[in-house]
Amino acid sequence: MTNSTVNSMIKQTTKFAATLCFSRLASLSLLASLSLVFLSACSKGGAEIEDNPSQETTPTSGYAGPAASTDDVQSFKISVWDNLSPSNRCGQCHGIGQLPDFVNLEDINDAYGEANKIIDLSSPKDSLMVTKVAAGHNCWLSSDSACGDTITSYITAWAGDAAESSATIVLEEPPIKDPGDSKTFPSDSDLFAQTIHPILTARCVNCHIESSPSSVSPFFAATDPDAAYEAAKAKIDLDTPANSRFVIRLLEEQHNCWGDCPANAAEMQTAIENFAEDIALTEVDPNLLKSKALLLTDGIVASGGGRYEPNAIAVWNFKTGSGNVAFDTSGVEPAINLTLSGSYNWVGGWGVQIVDGKAQGSTGSSKKIHDQITSTGEYSIEAWVVPSNVTQEGPAGIVSYSAGTLDRNFTLGQTLYNYNFSNRSSETDQNGGPFISTPDADEVLQTSLQHVVATFSPTDGKKVFVNGILVASEDVETGGTLIDWNDTYAFVLGNEADGSRLFAGTFRMVVIHNRALTQEQIVQNFDVGVGEKFFLLFSISHLVNDADSFVMYEVSQFDSYGYLFSEPTYVNLNSATIPDNLDIEKIRIAINGKEAITGQAFKNLISTVGSSTYSSDTGQLLSRLGTVINLEKGPSSDEFFLTFEKINGQENIFVEPPPPPPAIPVDLDERPEIGLRNFAEINATMSKITGIPMNNVDVQTTYNTVKQQMPTLTDIDIFVSSQQMGITQLSIEYCSALVEDSSAKASYFSGFDFTSGANVAFDSTAKRDQILDPLLLNAMGSNLSSQPTDVDVKTELNSLIDKLTTCGASCDAEKTNTVVKAVCAATIANATMLVQ
Amino acid sequence: MKMISNNKQIARSYRERIRTKKKLSLKIGLLCLATLSVSSLFSVSAGPREQAKRIHDRLAGVPPSETVLNSMEASIIANDANAAAYTAMEHSDFYRTTLKNMATPWTNEAQTVFAPLNDYSATFIGIVRDDTDIREMLTGNIIYTGNESGLPSYSNTNNNHYQSMDDNFSDLKVVLQEGTQTSVTGLEAEATAGVLTTRAAAKAFLIDGTNRAQFRFTLINHLCGDLEPLKDISRAADRIRQDVSRSPGGDSRIFNNSCYGCHAGMDPMIQSFAYYNYEYDVATDPDAENGQLVYNSQGATDATTGTRVQAKYHINGANFPYGYITENDNWNNYWRQGQNANIGWDDSLPGSGNGAKSMGRELAYSAKFSQCQVEKVFENVCLRKPGNDADRTQVSTMIDSLMTNSFQLKRTFAESAVYCMGE
Repeated sequence: MTNSTVNSMIKQTTKFAATLCFSRLASLSLLASLSLVFLSACSKGGAEIEDNPSQETTPTSGYAGPAASTDDVQSFKISVWDNLSPSNRCGQCHGIGQLPDFVNLEDINDAYGEANKIIDLSSPKDSLMVTKVAAGHNCWLSSDSACGDTITSYITAWAGDAAESSATIVLEEPPIKDPGDSKTFPSDSDLFAQTIHPILTARCVNCHIESSPSSVSPFFAATDPDAAYEAAKAKIDLDTPANSRFVIRLLEEQHNCWGDCPANAAEMQTAIENFAEDIALTEVDPNLLKSKALLLTDGIVASGGGRYEPNAIAVWNFKTGSGNVAFDTSGVEPAINLTLSGSYNWVGGWGVQIVDGKAQGSTGSSKKIHDQITSTGEYSIEAWVVPSNVTQEGPAGIVSYSAGTLDRNFTLGQTLYNYNFSNRSSETDQNGGPFISTPDADEVLQTSLQHVVATFSPTDGKKVFVNGILVASEDVETGGTLIDWNDTYAFVLGNEADGSRLFAGTFRMVVIHNRALTQEQIVQNFDVGVGEKFFLLFSISHLVNDADSFVMYEVSQFDSYGYLFSEPTYVNLNSATIPDNLDIEKIRIAINGKEAITGQAFKNLISTVGSSTYSSDTGQLLSRLGTVINLEKGPSSDEFFLTFEKINGQENIFVEPPPPPPAIPVDLDERPEIGLRNFAEINATMSKITGIPMNNVDVQTTYNTVKQQMPTLTDIDIFVSSQQMGITQLSIEYCSALVEDSSAKASYFSGFDFTSGANVAFDSTAKRDQILDPLLLNAMGSNLSSQPTDVDVKTELNSLIDKLTTCGASCDAEKTNTVVKAVCAATIANATMLVQ
Repeated sequence: MKMISNNKQIARSYRERIRTKKKLSLKIGLLCLATLSVSSLFSVSAGPREQAKRIHDRLAGVPPSETVLNSMEASIIANDANAAAYTAMEHSDFYRTTLKNMATPWTNEAQTVFAPLNDYSATFIGIVRDDTDIREMLTGNIIYTGNESGLPSYSNTNNNHYQSMDDNFSDLKVVLQEGTQTSVTGLEAEATAGVLTTRAAAKAFLIDGTNRAQFRFTLINHLCGDLEPLKDISRAADRIRQDVSRSPGGDSRIFNNSCYGCHAGMDPMIQSFAYYNYEYDVATDPDAENGQLVYNSQGATDATTGTRVQAKYHINGANFPYGYITENDNWNNYWRQGQNANIGWDDSLPGSGNGAKSMGRELAYSAKFSQCQVEKVFENVCLRKPGNDADRTQVSTMIDSLMTNSFQLKRTFAESAVYCMGE
């Protein structure tokens, strides 16, 4: 059987397998007595027409040997050989005789035969050719994983449909170990500051500090021990200091030693040991009903592919985790490797967070986008992003191919709660305007992980999809052509090329396709998700008396600070022995020897496993929920296990600690016993004093005008003059209404002659009392020692009357009415009314 | 410099300073209308007549008539200050002014007192007036409307009925008339939850969003505390809905240490409102003045959710696909355990149920609810928060009194007024 025949069979087989799709975990089938197969992330009915993979058509090295004997050999040549045969990659050794000579420079057919020995078409990422380089074998980039991913892309392009079989995952029994007592990082940085931090600040400060001209993340050499501590945790193994990344980096990788590397590593290890030995062990409660323990790295990789990306021309997965370059691992040359500048952080679980900077490619490599897209006339920008906030605008540049704010080929941006998308075409200006935007009211953009795809095609124009849903489009007769695109612009993430429109946020993946993805293809990619996922099989065999029982979680590093645990599923690696009526109740996730305090989403779970509810294909899903558990020591060190309140008839009921005693109340500053009437009480009080109803039209108009000017609160110590002015205005209105109403005033001020001139109407104490007495009685009450005496008040009011009735020739009856109004207002607008 | 050594001395100094300011104000003259002398309010001890005056001022918001003052004075002399307080509460402005102003900020998200009367505030006023169990405020099939000629009829789609009473300064003591929401608004009995299911509450707290505002503002207004002090990150995460980002801005610490503490308890409680919404035409009525409360009754199906659950409970589901998906109006009170057990939940209730009515009862039957009602009244009447041991003892006494007197809040008003009537 020839290799090409084998490849052909693999392609046929995997096409068949790809039809056996399930929603998430997909098909589960028995392959062997102790193994199960999961098909994850199957293609959901991808395109029926197979597009040619996007590749540079010009070989990267000359070839003058015999022609390819088959189409598959020719496909191998285009996808793999052309990319790896140059002398600065693999050609220098494996092209001139060193076995395996998979890039044999003289005979492509021989190279093909050798290559087939070290590749896995069904799972390109597991090919020896990939894993060898990813482990550090002569990678031509500064990131071994980037080399691995790039070669994976080459092989995937060669494999075509066959690569979809990478979704086939074999579940195997994990290592069985008991949860161990464990050390946990202390909450404060004091101990770190005394032990490890001094070495870091002395030896690593040239790069691993944000202020350095050549700063390289993570910034564990920061002057601030708190900041450095957070960055350093992932590099420290508390339980086995020798396994700390800090030590390995010096000892085995000779990374910037400051002298003799073994001695430097020993110094670092001693510091970590000093740090660790003062941290007490967290002992596992022996009463817990607990599963066996696992590290994240004990899990089975669950992200097996299934993305639709045959037309991907640039891919950034942000796996590197350090340094200042984000590698384009599309395999389409030239790679647009983005230089990170400004303030940024690598994010755990793959990603980079732009704080105040950008990731930009050279104009030379960025030209790939121009060339690849103008050749098709259509494209898609696909990004998994987490906007940091919903306040940035500009639009803030998420993904941009531009020269600045005035000239662009395309930009995917953010304005508050909206995504914006502009594309330069024959129908737009040179800035790609007008852009389309997601609807304001829908607030589509959220500060959570979102899958955003912007597509353009001449027939449909611009569209924006968020989380698989079309949320913005344009109604155009034609989207135009891309003939006016400029090939001198730079591709940039997190900003505009000129740095003027920062997008603060996290990128988990960015892909540029030179085809407009269909909604179906977009949904397919959305469903696959982003980041590295694992199946963690927690053994419960010892609890259920069945050797093959596990509770399986899908687990991933959610961000730099947490793990996502989702969809607990009972699986049995031997479907012949499914227990009946196995009760599994109230699961808690434990980390490093103790149950996590926060994030327990399954502690109310009640489930019963049985053969009737168990599927040999999918196991038995216990819950569709997921939750985020705080990261403690890092993905290579945090040890997880599960606890159960009840399992297989055994019980260990969680006892809720009693609530803390209520806080002891604190005495407040002493407050005055008295206060003000508020605006409504003032209005009601004035109404009561004058007898004028509150719904008097004039009064009500004034009240509505001044009510917000009068006191709202009753606190007497915050009374201000503007409030008094409002009270005065209202009092004048009430008094005016009273005096202008003949009947009312005659009744209220019984006996007073309103027809006399002011010089006569008030010319005796008796006459004045006809005004003052009813006002004082209604305003102040009688015989109240808490109010001023009538004598005191009358003295003041008479003084006022004296002044107002010194009116000479203008002392007519109208003046009399005016004086009464003034006296009335003075009486009802003062503190005897206001204070309660 | 003479040091002031304790709070009482500080307060004495403070009062003296105010007294000096008031005396100065006298010299400014009446035309300034700033103040007349109030020095006597501090310097003269209160006799029965002054106590009566203060009780009336504090309860009715207006000074008493001579006749009423005399009557109240007589009651106090007869060692029945409580009766004097009840006399003060006969004044219409106790309802139209004091209670209305007290309740109005509860009825809108901005918490402004400058909002019109509405079915929420009117129902509170009526419950107090009629000595109805105040707990009915959060659970009863009860509503108060105006029985006055010339008023527009109650409408599910506007506030004209109450706005008219407000404009008229109608005597709420007289015109308010008790009814059931079922008869007035058409809401089925099992869906009613006191003021929580009034139109005003819906307009304020069930509009747009996710209905969580209803829960938060009920806590603020009727349990006297916002969510912040209730944060408990040790509760189960299983009911936190999908729309809550677990890594806001890419940082799951924010969620786990902050958002989580509220949502873990709040989301399973406000699921009780899963069938409610406030619907309005955003195009023609952007201020939602003509919207109405809607409730998906048995048999109704929301087009988005495929169940009785309103679509708003499923919005932004992609924020965290593994989050809780609301399928019904079942609620659970996770805060019965943990630090929030201190709220004092009623052990005779199950701590779970379906719908707003039973959730409202869960809140209203808590010790914290009773305490809050008493403290609100205390502050309203005494013009200050309870601030020392004596005040706290009085609050405790009034809580006991409320509970042993059929939860009639008018009694709490009376007891507060007597406590703060001066000596």
